[in-house]
Amino acid sequence: MSQTHTFQNYELESFCDELFDADGRPRPGASLLIETINSLPPGELTRRKSAIDRALLRMGITFAVYGSEEGTEKIWPFDIVPRIVEAYEWSHIEAGLKQRIRALNLFINDVYHEQEILGDGVVPRDLLEDAKSIREPCRGLNPPRGVWCHITGTDLVRHSDGAIYVLEDNMRCPSGVSYVLQNRLLMKRSFPQVFSASRVRPVIDYPTRLYETLRCLAPGHVSEPTIVLLTPGIYNSAYYEHSFLAQQMGIQLVEGRDLAVKDGFVCMRTTGGFERVDVIYRRIDDDFLDPEAFRADSMLGVPGLMDAYRNGRVALANAPGTGVADDKAIYAYVPEMIHYYLDEEPILPNVPTYVCAREEDRKYVLAHLDELVVKAVNEAGGYGMLVGPHSTADEQREFAQRIEARPRNYIAQPTLALSRVPTVVDDHFEGRHVDLRPYILYGEDIWVLPGGLTRVALKKGSLVVNSSQGGGSKDTWVVARTDDEAAEVATPL
Amino acid sequence: MQYKITHTTTYQYADPVSVCHSRVMMTPRNDSRTRCESHRIKIQPTPQVVERREDYFGNLVHCFSIEESHRQLKVTATSRVTVEALQLPPLPETPPWETIRDAVANAADADWFPASLTTFDSPRVLRDATFAEYAAESFSPARPIVEAAAELTERINHDFTYDTTATTVATPTDEAFQMRKGVCQDFAHVQIACLRSLGLPARYVSGYLRTIPPPGEPRKIGADESHAWLSIFCGSEIGWVDVDPTNNCICTTDHVPSAWGRDYGDVTPLKGVFLGGGQHELTVSVDVEPLE
Repeated sequence: MSQTHTFQNYELESFCDELFDADGRPRPGASLLIETINSLPPGELTRRKSAIDRALLRMGITFAVYGSEEGTEKIWPFDIVPRIVEAYEWSHIEAGLKQRIRALNLFINDVYHEQEILGDGVVPRDLLEDAKSIREPCRGLNPPRGVWCHITGTDLVRHSDGAIYVLEDNMRCPSGVSYVLQNRLLMKRSFPQVFSASRVRPVIDYPTRLYETLRCLAPGHVSEPTIVLLTPGIYNSAYYEHSFLAQQMGIQLVEGRDLAVKDGFVCMRTTGGFERVDVIYRRIDDDFLDPEAFRADSMLGVPGLMDAYRNGRVALANAPGTGVADDKAIYAYVPEMIHYYLDEEPILPNVPTYVCAREEDRKYVLAHLDELVVKAVNEAGGYGMLVGPHSTADEQREFAQRIEARPRNYIAQPTLALSRVPTVVDDHFEGRHVDLRPYILYGEDIWVLPGGLTRVALKKGSLVVNSSQGGGSKDTWVVARTDDEAAEVATPL
Repeated sequence: MQYKITHTTTYQYADPVSVCHSRVMMTPRNDSRTRCESHRIKIQPTPQVVERREDYFGNLVHCFSIEESHRQLKVTATSRVTVEALQLPPLPETPPWETIRDAVANAADADWFPASLTTFDSPRVLRDATFAEYAAESFSPARPIVEAAAELTERINHDFTYDTTATTVATPTDEAFQMRKGVCQDFAHVQIACLRSLGLPARYVSGYLRTIPPPGEPRKIGADESHAWLSIFCGSEIGWVDVDPTNNCICTTDHVPSAWGRDYGDVTPLKGVFLGGGQHELTVSVDVEPLE
């Protein structure tokens, strides 16, 4: 059966679209792609799409959903139509992210030292001390170069007003970057000519950049540092990514039981005996890092690791304790942090946020549960949240009780009309809501991966893009500025 | 008053332990009333690595690792400490408790910032209306803070039964409160929860208590206790006042603090991780010897 996919009957439905302007004309960076798709022979797009699906299966690009009965590993759903970001818009996003990361790092450092921002009353102290994410053993730590958060994945969304907003800062162990690299590989295969002609900025050097970032954290006297990636193991939802990144960087993939602290240094068990480890890219949560310092029942961590870290004998990326800046109630204060530490105006705005710990906000939230999105401050991955307009009265009552019981644990935000990107649905295109997670590396300098992970809510009308909740992903094309920036070229395979 | 304090902790393991990483908090603090003249920690077997550092609350922590096989771990902390008597204005002349609460909440007191750290929930002490209710009986409007605190201490001492079998180190504070039973750690946690639920800063203190032998009997060596009580912030004029609900008293020269934090979790005297060992037996002996 051959089908013809074209954009002739594509409906914007009054949402902001990433590929078309409000009048339905393709945006400049997208026109070539749209023309090409419109002129494909019947059945060709379907053919390319099934080639991609086969490749995904063959390459074993999967993720795990906790508590799913059909088996934990799932194929990563991928949509063939990329999101395209114009050069001028990307410069704005990049500048905004760099500013935000600088402020957040200064904040984390302050929180674990003098706490001046609390003393000056800019961030309320009760909000911080009641945060589940503040880690006592991190007080007074001095991570290498004074940087706490080396790898960040910030979630951005575009609202119906056309502006880009920051939805969350993921500063613990953000995942998803391996899918960015794989999505790109698949797109270059599917649309080699359009890809090359569209002058898309490369993402392929991410593993090299990440390696350089980790390398510059090594203790001063080490010239050829040993770097490892510490994973919780094969049952973790992002295990695929851990193994992929370790392989791409050419570093060892280790579990807690592969490491031990000897004479105050962290060592890896090898067939040739213990080998000293200088930098650990850890993909396990703070709580499990070191049973001596954090959760005593952790079987995943390395006893004594925190003491070695405190004494500057090993570097950890990210530093423990960064979760405090990732708390959704603290998030509400990031614009104030930017004013306070940098004396600048925030370039990227926050989504307006009601902090339920503030009495006035709480009253408003309880009265408007049917309109707002309510989130638990310490959950990630789309767990523990209520999307007001799509919820039942029972669900709203349940959340009202939870908020009253522990207001500190909840925030609420208006339901955003997220922008959309055309997505293949059976034999035609329909708009589906997307967000964007760029990845930021902070080593000697701050570097932002051009593009990032575009997640798409595959269910019609759905606003939840998390892969654990039925989301998929798309490639993200950042158009190079005409002359000075490198673009990636698709070479025929 | 000067003391020589010897605190010995022994772990006896059924099977060999191959690795052990631990931390010790047994060094008396230098404070307005206490001075640590000398201090020594002896660890057997000798650790491969020993580091010392100050934690966030200013307590001295020794971290050590033993990387050779052992069946017994013995930590002996010996210190010589001078404690001066507490100087307090007459209790009815201390400030009304609400003024302290408000001065800390509104950043009006000179020491509001360090004090406010101990007004919030901590892992083992969660504020709750039932604690506030219980405390309100003593904390009537405008009552002088130390007078009210002393009465609350007395009530807890009276209403609660000292029972070493009712609770463990992991018993949540609200459970101990409902049972009205526990040991010094529970008593201190309950009173801290009461004070914090009223908005007052209160911290957990671990340390040593001198026990006076009954008349005519000699002092028994090693029979003293590793003890816990709490400290209440009474404004920067008076400072922190220690009270002991287990013994119903305002602490003066019989109590020697070694560490303070938000609750027991911050100041556990000895904690760590060991691999192997099987069944183990723990013995603790504390000797607080007054020196003339």
